[in-house]
Amino acid sequence: MKIEILYPEFCNINSDMGNIKYLKKCLPEAEFIETSINDVPAFIEEEISLVYMGTLSESAQEIVIQRLKPYKEKIEGAIEKNQLFLFTGNSVEVLGKYIEDENRKIEALGIFDVYAKRDMLHRHNSYFLGKYEDIEILGFKSQFTMLYGDNSNGYFATVDLGIGINENSKLEGIRKNNFIGTYIIGPILILNPLFTKKMLSLMGVKEPKLAFEKDVLESYEVKLKKFKTFTNFQM
Amino acid sequence: MNYKKTLKFYVALWIAKLSSFALKILKRNATYFPGKVALSICPDFMGRLDKPKTIIGVTGTNGKTTTCNMINDILSQNGFDFINNKYGSNIDGGIATTLISGSTITGKAKKDLAVLEIDERSANKVYPYLTPTYLICTNLFRDSLMRNAHTEFIASILNKYIPKETIMIENADDIICSHVAEGNKKIYFGIDRLETDTEDCKNITRDIRVCPKCLSPIKYEYVRYHHIGKAYCPNCDYKCPDPDYHVTKLDLKNMQMTVKFKDEEEVYDLVNDNIINIYNMLAVIIVLKQLKLTQKQINDSFAKLKIVETRYSEENYKDYKIVTQLAKGMNPIACSIAFNYTKNEKGNKAVIIILDDLHEDAKGMENTSWHYDTDYEFLNDESIKQIIIAGPRYLDSYIRCLMADIPEEKLIHKKDLIEATSELKLDGIDKVFILHDLYSIEETKQIKQKVKEIIDKYTVEQK
Repeated sequence: MKIEILYPEFCNINSDMGNIKYLKKCLPEAEFIETSINDVPAFIEEEISLVYMGTLSESAQEIVIQRLKPYKEKIEGAIEKNQLFLFTGNSVEVLGKYIEDENRKIEALGIFDVYAKRDMLHRHNSYFLGKYEDIEILGFKSQFTMLYGDNSNGYFATVDLGIGINENSKLEGIRKNNFIGTYIIGPILILNPLFTKKMLSLMGVKEPKLAFEKDVLESYEVKLKKFKTFTNFQM
Repeated sequence: MNYKKTLKFYVALWIAKLSSFALKILKRNATYFPGKVALSICPDFMGRLDKPKTIIGVTGTNGKTTTCNMINDILSQNGFDFINNKYGSNIDGGIATTLISGSTITGKAKKDLAVLEIDERSANKVYPYLTPTYLICTNLFRDSLMRNAHTEFIASILNKYIPKETIMIENADDIICSHVAEGNKKIYFGIDRLETDTEDCKNITRDIRVCPKCLSPIKYEYVRYHHIGKAYCPNCDYKCPDPDYHVTKLDLKNMQMTVKFKDEEEVYDLVNDNIINIYNMLAVIIVLKQLKLTQKQINDSFAKLKIVETRYSEENYKDYKIVTQLAKGMNPIACSIAFNYTKNEKGNKAVIIILDDLHEDAKGMENTSWHYDTDYEFLNDESIKQIIIAGPRYLDSYIRCLMADIPEEKLIHKKDLIEATSELKLDGIDKVFILHDLYSIEETKQIKQKVKEIIDKYTVEQK
């Protein structure tokens, strides 16, 4: 089993590497490929069980867009063929149509029919509670951008607490086949053990077992209970 | 911009002064509100108010308060008359309050000197109206991701708003910080290679891994911690600058450092042996030298200084040393430094950790992501015999410790602080470390008291 981490030198700003650290504990036999900015992504050329990309800075987004542009068709093809992707934080914006930043318009890969608007003067911080299929998902959002467009045919989770892809949306993230993009930041896999089990299943693990399963589940249950008491989603 | 005093300005000033007076009568804290009121009436109030002729600003991610405290104490001990925001907030409202307290009823500055701690995130609200004569930038790291987002963002707002006339005093060993305000006059400080420096980074995070000019991986002659060290790009001219003032010899045994400037060397006594405080001391020396203080004046004061107890304290109690150390929650670098310091202290240790969001828990919950940028791995050391984790986030810290491969049998995790502390085992222990958050000062005192009770009981049992 191979897991690819795209551009870890950039895509690590919101403790995103915690997800990889946890996957290493859950899948000690797996091979982890770190693809740096000057490398060709491994999933373009070989079979990869999971491609992961974490949150990145605004300038890094522009660099990554340029680096991935030559592979646009191949990425689209991989999504069509059910390649499993997990993109967290603002990394999903790289695959949208464009990113607006004041008077600038940064053309992105255009794989998904959505666009992002940056507002560097206002940082959105919120709790998230929602459902991915029948799994309750919790997490945190911290972002300068909002995503716009119709994701009703392909979203990651419905929202019970917090916002979807923007402040008027109740549908969080992007999903197409096995591509999952969510604005939830940081170690989403540690916070959401049931979702992580689902991810391991999608990666082909039979009867998936999590590292520190009892403790991670206890922490999830305690947080879930607490999140359900929140009347305000803003942090 | 030339700001004039308008009627709105005077109204803001007088209402602020009245509110300050009223708060003092009521024995309430008047360190933020008066300035906040003035700014709400007159948003460019600080621009219109006369300022002291010399303003020393201190900004950066870690070490601002300690650096300011040292500057304030040394200036006071040497007879300087100045204003500072030691007891106030370091954002626009607090800074305005400090300036108001140092002004006359007509808005004239009463003092010629100000020492201001300035939160880096408030750059856009402070620097358009106030030009520091000298601005120390201690370092730039990832911090609360809710407020500070990332270092590129913080560096960009500093670059945008720091006035061109300000003389920057920057950490040359921090490749991010040392490139802030590129066009300004600069004085750099650094510490020469130390025996403890390494070839590779031992920390989880490094806030710069790739050259921002040519995207080549950044290399290091040596790494001190995180991205601190002698960094350079192998393919272009992007690198750490050479320091103007640098520590050429660090003698931790005798608690002294030798500082070189041009061809002159001076020896200073260390206030504390934590590397971040040595950087802070170096910045303090430089800024005070600009005010013409001598080595003797500065060093005589260093000898009298202590890091404030809320940041670091040690007490010998019976056969044990109890150390309390600030490990600022939601700040992965500060916590990692505290963990590393604990690991490197001599002797066998028990560690009590309350890093969590006691204050946040009342209204919600902190974003727990930062635990995964924090080097809990440093606590996985033979010399650390027991780790007690307590507080609302006890489960998060416990899981993070397990992820750091810390043996389960060394770990105690309970929500209640005192109940958890009661599990302290003193067999073979020399030192007890209490690593606490900024907002857990009272709780830290209670834990320390409980530790003393356990020591008392254990000492009697041993007899």
